[in-house]
Parts: sequence; structure tokens; C-alpha cells
Amino acid sequence: MKLLTHNMLTSHVKGVTKGYPLLIKATEVKVNEVEFNPQFVSRMIPKLEWGALVHAAEELGHRQDLPGELVQDFEKNEDFLKKVHRVLLEVEVIEGCLQCPESGREFPISKGIPNMLLNEDEV
Amino acid sequence: MPPHKPYAFVTYRCEESALKAYTHLNGQKLQCGESSVMLYLAYVSSVTHEEEASVPLPEGLVLLEDFVSPEEEALLLAAVDWSSTNDDVTAQKALKHRRVKHYGFEFRYDNNNVDKDKPLPAGIPAECLPVLERCLRNGHINVMPDQLTVNQYESGQGIPPHVDTHSPFEDTILSLSLGAKTVMEFRHPDGRVVAVVLPGRSLLVMKGESRYVWTHGITPRKFDMVPACEQQSPDHVTPEPGTRSNLTLSKRGTRTSFTFRKIRLEPCRCGESEGASSTPSPSTPPPPALPCCHADAARLEEEYVHRVYDAIASHFSSTRHSPWPRVCHFLSSLPPGSVLADVGCGNGKYLGVNPEMIAVGCDRSSALVQICAERGFHAFVSDALNVPLRTASCDACISIAVIHHFSTEERRLAAVRELVRLLKPGGHALIYVWAFEQEYNKQRSKYLKDHNKEHHGKENLTKNTSEDRREPHGKSAMQNSGHLEEGYEPVDKKQDVGKVTDGKLSVHTNRTAFNTQDLLVPCPSGTTQTSSSHLKSESESHLTPVFHRYYHVFHQGELEQLCSQVDGVKVQSSYHDQGNWCVILEKD
Repeated sequence: MKLLTHNMLTSHVKGVTKGYPLLIKATEVKVNEVEFNPQFVSRMIPKLEWGALVHAAEELGHRQDLPGELVQDFEKNEDFLKKVHRVLLEVEVIEGCLQCPESGREFPISKGIPNMLLNEDEV
Repeated sequence: MPPHKPYAFVTYRCEESALKAYTHLNGQKLQCGESSVMLYLAYVSSVTHEEEASVPLPEGLVLLEDFVSPEEEALLLAAVDWSSTNDDVTAQKALKHRRVKHYGFEFRYDNNNVDKDKPLPAGIPAECLPVLERCLRNGHINVMPDQLTVNQYESGQGIPPHVDTHSPFEDTILSLSLGAKTVMEFRHPDGRVVAVVLPGRSLLVMKGESRYVWTHGITPRKFDMVPACEQQSPDHVTPEPGTRSNLTLSKRGTRTSFTFRKIRLEPCRCGESEGASSTPSPSTPPPPALPCCHADAARLEEEYVHRVYDAIASHFSSTRHSPWPRVCHFLSSLPPGSVLADVGCGNGKYLGVNPEMIAVGCDRSSALVQICAERGFHAFVSDALNVPLRTASCDACISIAVIHHFSTEERRLAAVRELVRLLKPGGHALIYVWAFEQEYNKQRSKYLKDHNKEHHGKENLTKNTSEDRREPHGKSAMQNSGHLEEGYEPVDKKQDVGKVTDGKLSVHTNRTAFNTQDLLVPCPSGTTQTSSSHLKSESESHLTPVFHRYYHVFHQGELEQLCSQVDGVKVQSSYHDQGNWCVILEKD
């Protein structure tokens, strides 16, 4: 699971109102090399929840020097875009789980894939 | 030698003869009726010979050969006056459909029943009486039948697998085969398939499980593979031990079947989805009934959708590699940087189509999501009824060939609602579902068109890759629910002799027109079963597990009608694409 995916995922356990963002508990993290496309990263940033991304990166120990607030004119800041690219698309949780911040329910991540299936009683 | 194909082996007395044969015959074109066939030869060092395990006939099935004499056969065939049928013969001929005629009572295809109060003017022809009396005397039936359906099949025609409706008729069904032999396939819901050769002048007696549980059908084709035990050819040479051939090709002729039934005067007393089988077998589950509540629906989908996809994931993925153009068009027209959710993404076929978009997919099958991950896509496992993405977080959503797997209207509606929930205001959703109407604007869908490329009847074993979620088969006439819309072929209602009723699901024959909306579609297990021998005969196909997937195929307008029940969204466009009904929704 990459942090781009994490940024979009939310807990959908019945009755939960504050299910976003999910907490990450990782036991295995990998960093892959992914082709850098500055334009693509630049377009992605406005669609993200910046705070959630930074927090997730922090949880994984991969925040490095990612700023807590979005930089102005980031479109032309290649340095910044590279940092975002790395955190969003290169860092990957292979094993671990995602936890609902409200209910505590854990969703397993196995072989890089989060399993968000709910049981019948949680729907 | 590629597996799952029929081969003929020839043994020569010496190498020289073999070489001569090879040189002269390899690559030669043979004229075979109207079509031509290319002969390909290859040397093999030995012929694998397998003892053909004898396959028992389905319970309750009895085949009586030479039941009528050739004279009686001629008499019976002459007794049918085809010119007086009230069918539109021209339409039938145009659609290359088998001919059907009823006596005694008319079987109505629109409600799968018989009108007991309106007997047809023509009762069973007198010529049939001696045969029926013979059946009574020999104890195959206890009471004289009063309904007769005559079906005439030309070479290349058949009838989709079905169970004869049980409520209007008494137990035993008699079927007399005249004019030519054929092969009838019996299929059990658990996947077993038994191919039964019906010689000309034979009587088939169907009772019990063979009558109520197994479906029976005739694959539309021109040749059947049959055991080569009856040696009528003058050129037949006694095979040497160890090289015994056990199969041969039998060309189909025109076969006429006389199916005799007794109309039930009292309503049947079974009253349950088990079917009126007198000896229910605990190990064979009856065909499932349509679910009436969420729990049942979820269970049915678990059995006939999720379990199947997980089992066939890799095979399925290998046959789904070509994205459909119109879906790609939708995706490519999204502005760069759009967030897309592909709900029911399968193997991720669409996730990489537009590299400018931020695409995330989810699917119920972990095996399929695994494939997405391997391909570098963002995906997770979840249910389409409960997608763990925030409300109004997506610019666009797609649901391609997903919603037809939900077994109740309520769940299908819930799936649409979920898609709409994910959309931002002004966002678009594209939905594709399998259409009941496979032919549109006189264009047969790929699903129906591709049968010629496939081995007939080998739908369970074929390794051909088809791009659609459809596997091979025949050319029966199109069956429509009845409403004639522009662009449709005339309705031909006399498709089947019987259908599964009482809310049970019918098992579909691949690559034919649909005859009900809720079906179980067989699909090959592909690589999950390693075939032990390339000489696998048709009767051994029961060794390959056949999975059945549940589908609710949509009528024209049904998808729009479903979407119109969702607030805050409108149908922007709707169309038919290769056997699917499609809509584009726009969120307010």
C-alpha cells in the first residue's frame, strides 16, 4: 500500500464519523524506485489531504523534511515535488495494518494490499 | 501437441509407408461438405492410450436402443404435418432455428406452462399409440401421455441446457429419437457433465434426478465425437492391441425427437426449491433459488461470484487484457489529475489506461487485487456495496461488468448509490452491465459471434482467450422477453421446451442468447486443473471442475430505471456496447 492509496482510504465501519485518516501500523516497509513525473505529482497535490500525508509519512518514519504545510508555488519547485513523489509513490507498506481512529478496528495489509472488507455485523 | 484438441492417430506397417503418407497428406486441403479442412500430420513416438472410465448415466435415466423398427420410424416421421404448424416457418428458417410442433396441449413459452383448459385440436397422432402402449407394457410409464412435442434438429441446431418445467407435467418424460443420432449432454449443478449418445430409433426415459436436477441439452454443431465401438465402416481394420482407438467423428443428420409427457391435473405437491425428486441425494445440492433477503443474497454471491473469481483469478486475468474502447474513451476524456475509482477493478485492466489520472481500484477478490498490485496499480480489497473512500472524493468512477453480479435489485441499487456517493458534484460515473439482449441493431455481440472459432461443446476445456467475459458457443435464435424495440430481430418465443421455474436459477449455455435474466454461467477452471491427457474425451470433461458464476442480465432500460431511483444524479447518456447496457451518470 502506497501513501497515495492511504490518503484516499477511510474507515467505513458502521456508525463511525471520524474514520479518516486511518492509522498505519507497519511491520514491513519498502522503498521502490518509481519514475518521477513532476507534472503528475504537481496535479496530484491539490487532490490530497496534505496533513494526513505528512502524518502517515511520519508514522512510517519516512517523513524526512517534508513540510507540515504546503509550500507556495510548489508546481515549479522540483525539489519539493521530488520529496512528495517519494513519499507518495515510492514508500510502500508491505505488511501491517490500518486502524480506524474511532473504533480501533484493524484492517490487515498483506503483500502490500489492504483488505478493507467488513464483517456482516459491521456493515 | 496442444491439449484439449481432438486428434486421430494412424499406424502404418512400416516407416516407408508412414513417410509416404506424411509427404502426400500433410498440408492437403480436404473438401468436407461445404467447408474445407486442412490436414496436418505430425509424427509421434507412441500413442497414449487411456482406459476410458465408464461414466454412469445420471440417476433415473434409461436409454433403450432399437425401441422402434425402421418401418415404425418412417411412419412416425410421416405423421408430422409441418405445413400446418402455426409458427412462422419463414422466420424460423431465417433464424436457422429448430422446428417445433405440439400436440395435445400447447406448451407456452411465455409463462413456461401448459394451458390445461385449452387442449389443442390435434391430440397425439394415432401413429404414436403402438409405441406408447409398448412403453406402458414395459413399465416405463404408468399412465398414457397426453402431450407431445416434436422437435426437428438439422445438423448444426440444438437446444440450450434446461430442466423441463416440473409443475405442469407428471414425472416421467419419454423422448424418442428418429432420423439420426445425436449427443445429448446432461449437466449436474455440481459441475459433472455426462454426454449421452442417442442413436436413431432409441427411446430415452427421464425420471428422478435426470429429470429434475440435471439439465439436458444438445450442443448446436455438425459433428459429434462418439465412441467408435460400432464398426460399420467396410474399411475397418481390427486395431492392434495397444493402439485401440476409442473415439470417432459422427456427422449429424436431421434428427426428429418426439417427447411425450403427461399433463398434471393437480398442482404438484413438492412446494419447495428442492424439486420433486423422489430420492433427494444429500451430496448433490439443488440449483439455488433467487435470494429474498440480504443474507441469502450475500451467500449466493459468495458461492457463485467471489469464490469463483478467487479460484479462476489468474486464468481470468489472462483472458482480460484488452480494455474496451468506449471505456477507454471515457477514461481518456477525463481532465489530467482526475481522481478515478474503479469499483470492481478485476485485474486492473483500466487502471493504467489514462496515465494522467490518479486511479485507484478495488475488488472483492484478493487474488485479482494481487494481480493489480503486481502490475504496479493502487488497489485494495473491498466490497462494492461499502467502499472505504470518502464521500465526494472522486472526479469519476467506473463500474465495468460488476453490478450484474448482485443477486437482488436492492443490492444492485445499493451498488449504484455507493458509486454516486463517491462522486464530487459534477463528477461522472460509467456503468457497464451484461445485457439480456445480446443482439442490437442487427449486430450480434462478440459473445454470440465467436462460436465458430471455438471447439463446439468444449466450452469447459477451451484455452482460447476471449477478451470478453464470455466463453464459447452456438447460434440459437435470439430470445427476447417480448418487447420489440427498434433494431431488434423478431421475437421467437419457441426457444425452449422447458425452463427452470419456481424462482430457480437456470444454467446458461455459453455463447447463446439468454433465456432468463438470472443465470449461472459456466466458466472454465482454466489453470486450476491440470489436464492429465490431451486425449481427454468429451465424456471425461466432468473431471474438470466447472465453476458457475451468477449473473443478473439487464433488459434494455433496466439500468437507467435503476439509476433513476438514485437521488442527486441524472443519466447523461446510455448505450449498448458489445452485449452490455451502459450509462454515464452525472452528479448534480
